[in-house]
Amino acid sequence: MGIFTRFFRNNRDILKDRHMSEPSGDKEVPTTKKLTENVKYILDAFHQTNDLKIRVLKKGDATLLYLESLAEHEKIHEKIFAPIEMGHTDDVFQLPNAKHTHDLEEAVRTILRGHALYLEEGKREIAQFSVTSSFSRTPEEPQNEKVVRGAHDGFVENMMTNINLIRKRVEHRDLTIKYFKLGRKTNTNVAVMYMDGIADPTLVQEVETRLHSVDSDMIHSPGHVEEFIEDQSNSPFPQMLNTERPDRVAANIVEGRVAIMSEGSPTTLIAPATFFMFYQAPDDYNMRWFTGTFVRLIRLFSFVIAVSLPAFYIAVVSFHYEVIPDELIIPVKASINEIAYPPILEALVMVIIIELIREAGIRLPQPIGQTIGIVGGLVIGDAVVRAGLVSNLMVIVVALTAIASFVVPSNELSTALRLLTFPLILLAGTIGFIGIVFGMLFILIHLTRLHSFGVPYFAPLAPLSLVDLKDTFVRLPMYMMKLRPKDAHAIKPIALDPSREWRNRDEQKQSKQGGDQTSTTNKPKE
Amino acid sequence: MRRYLIVVMTGLLFLTGCWDEKQFKNVKLVLSLGFDQGDEGQIIQTVSIPTVNRATEGPGSESLQILSTSAQTPLQARNKIDLMISESYDPSKVKVVVLGEDLAKKNIYPILDDMYRNSRSNLNAYLAVVEEGTAQDVISMNHAGATRISNYVSGLLEAAVSSTHATGENLQLLCAELLEPGIDFSVPMLKIEDEGNLLTFSGMGLFHDKAYTGEKIDAEQTTLFMLLEGVKGRVARLTEKIDDNKKEEILDYVTVNVAENDRKMKIENKDGEISVTINLDMKVKIVEYPSDHLYVKGRVEEIGKKLSETLTEDSVDIIAQLQEANSDIFGIGRRVKAYHPDVWKKIKWEEEYPEISIKPSVKVEVIQHGIIN
Repeated sequence: MGIFTRFFRNNRDILKDRHMSEPSGDKEVPTTKKLTENVKYILDAFHQTNDLKIRVLKKGDATLLYLESLAEHEKIHEKIFAPIEMGHTDDVFQLPNAKHTHDLEEAVRTILRGHALYLEEGKREIAQFSVTSSFSRTPEEPQNEKVVRGAHDGFVENMMTNINLIRKRVEHRDLTIKYFKLGRKTNTNVAVMYMDGIADPTLVQEVETRLHSVDSDMIHSPGHVEEFIEDQSNSPFPQMLNTERPDRVAANIVEGRVAIMSEGSPTTLIAPATFFMFYQAPDDYNMRWFTGTFVRLIRLFSFVIAVSLPAFYIAVVSFHYEVIPDELIIPVKASINEIAYPPILEALVMVIIIELIREAGIRLPQPIGQTIGIVGGLVIGDAVVRAGLVSNLMVIVVALTAIASFVVPSNELSTALRLLTFPLILLAGTIGFIGIVFGMLFILIHLTRLHSFGVPYFAPLAPLSLVDLKDTFVRLPMYMMKLRPKDAHAIKPIALDPSREWRNRDEQKQSKQGGDQTSTTNKPKE
Repeated sequence: MRRYLIVVMTGLLFLTGCWDEKQFKNVKLVLSLGFDQGDEGQIIQTVSIPTVNRATEGPGSESLQILSTSAQTPLQARNKIDLMISESYDPSKVKVVVLGEDLAKKNIYPILDDMYRNSRSNLNAYLAVVEEGTAQDVISMNHAGATRISNYVSGLLEAAVSSTHATGENLQLLCAELLEPGIDFSVPMLKIEDEGNLLTFSGMGLFHDKAYTGEKIDAEQTTLFMLLEGVKGRVARLTEKIDDNKKEEILDYVTVNVAENDRKMKIENKDGEISVTINLDMKVKIVEYPSDHLYVKGRVEEIGKKLSETLTEDSVDIIAQLQEANSDIFGIGRRVKAYHPDVWKKIKWEEEYPEISIKPSVKVEVIQHGIIN
């Protein structure tokens, strides 16, 4: 109901209700004085659907129309009948929470939003009452983006709840939300959120233009929207950040990015996104910066492992075994000596088995999923080595690769990485190290060419921006990140002014008071 | 259509790489190579090939195959050996190349030519010469301890390097010295003892040009020899007799660890006459001094002085051996060629080198004597 709360005052104009974005330009159909004609029009509009309830009142002189599947009986009673029974008024049209219209088309749309309509014989007016029932789960922490420290709430399927979570975090008038209706048949509410005055207006404009140009019958999730508005579809890399965490969205909005939410899905899209954003986890900002840096370096290192370790191993054992250290040469030789298949087949088989186990584990309920993990991981892994189908080194390599690919905080990028191993395995299996070099070159070239909403995807590495490296490979203390990241294209670059002047004060004083002041002046940005 | 053509062509382009494929599991690794002089100018090549069988748990069982064949050249021998084994012979992980003494006394370059020419050969391998024996004996020796002869020999040589007994030069580093006239090299010598059960490092064999001279610096003197060459391993321990008048023999000796070693070689040219002075400044720690009483004032300095004298005498001895063998290991010729090219052109270095005067002078300074007085 927050949709009606945004009134704004023009000097002498009469106030109008504000709405979620209405499909404008629809024809208006005026009501008639005859009740039956009005009701018939609405019934026809819904193709005589059975859940459209007609409740006859005043001995046939008035009626209440609503979709029983959307309306809540409690609310109908509370909003319409209770005030009359209390004797405040006799006329339903006089009830303060009624909204009036003379347009039958509008009436149809409001029914779809879960309103109840009150029509009376001889009156053109229709009174609308919002009686929507909504079922939503509690904002629990998303299963796929857990953190150790920090906020433990997450988005739900109800967009209003989600916006509420953001507004609670960003209590500022500049937080602007724009609604869109996407999907000709589904009429999905989509919200675009940004900080006015920080986010680049051309970026917001671009997002809006792209959203407006979506002309589809159905829009059911942000992933769906993403495909319509992303820059380059033929790329393994996700160009928008998917998250279910309000703290992450709030932080990105304040950095000057734009968030796109849609009704019915907890996932929020953040644009523009860069490659390194996928490696920043909310956890990093809740740790001490040393630890944060260490964890992030490990995560970035995992990118190299996830993409190239199997390829490297294959290249070594089938082309360049001179590089194996002397001490290792006999153990390696022993483990692969009696394997029937060439290493490239071994690797492909193992990587595909891991993917099978993963996919089976996701779809099954959790207790069975664990069983699959144990059966697949331990039993098959062990048996396959004992049977001599795959060498134990290959099992180690593939298992390490799988673990490394799961380290990425974003599921989208993690899948992309696992996909990228395949071409590199093939290249390494056919031309050895040269193949890996070529493959990595292609990936790097692709990364540097990619753009997300006009922002270079590989920023701040290419184009190089030394200032932004503070939050890329390392995470320096928050108070050093004085500027917003350039890749967000914020029009207000300064994120914070000097926040630790107290350090310059008298040494004695500082030692006494320094401790309590840190906690207030050095707030993390999330 | 064109698109498919491009895909097919790039696919074919990559598949050509499979020609160069060399599956690690399909080769027989040769870890140690031995060469001996055979009859009628032939060479005898001996290889040891470990075959490891995988065990489900723990290390697999290992069996060694020792093969010997005679041929005209190393590659011909390799081809012959290839005919005797399953899969193919691969020398890219050779750890040690052992030469029999008889073969080493001839030109050794022809033996190593293939190793240098082939990009896949392991130039990290050590070279060693068997004293009074054949490489075949070493490669096929049945020794106690380590399983693989390659590990045994390379471990032995690495230990000699770290205790400043050998230079640790591998095939790559020897190559330049092998081909350059102004510098010679020394190669570790191995000796089979204890009826073929034990291998010892017996000194550094002196080479002249491309052949072993038959002379060697004994293992007792190699540390000083290395220090004179300017090479110091992790530990350089010298035990010297500095006294002659103590009651017991053991009290005459002192053992020092060389902490710092600074060698300076000066070459003087007096009207075409080359004379060399080698100054060796050492800072040593006394690690063993059985007669004790180092707290006596001036004792430490006295030991330093005596050590300087003894070591200088030893150095003179070593240099005499070098000159006798006509083995210019210090690379004096190289320096003469660089700094006095006109002299170099006039003389024939091979004939000149044994005649020039080389004066060593060792200065020892004791900087520590352990944690007791």
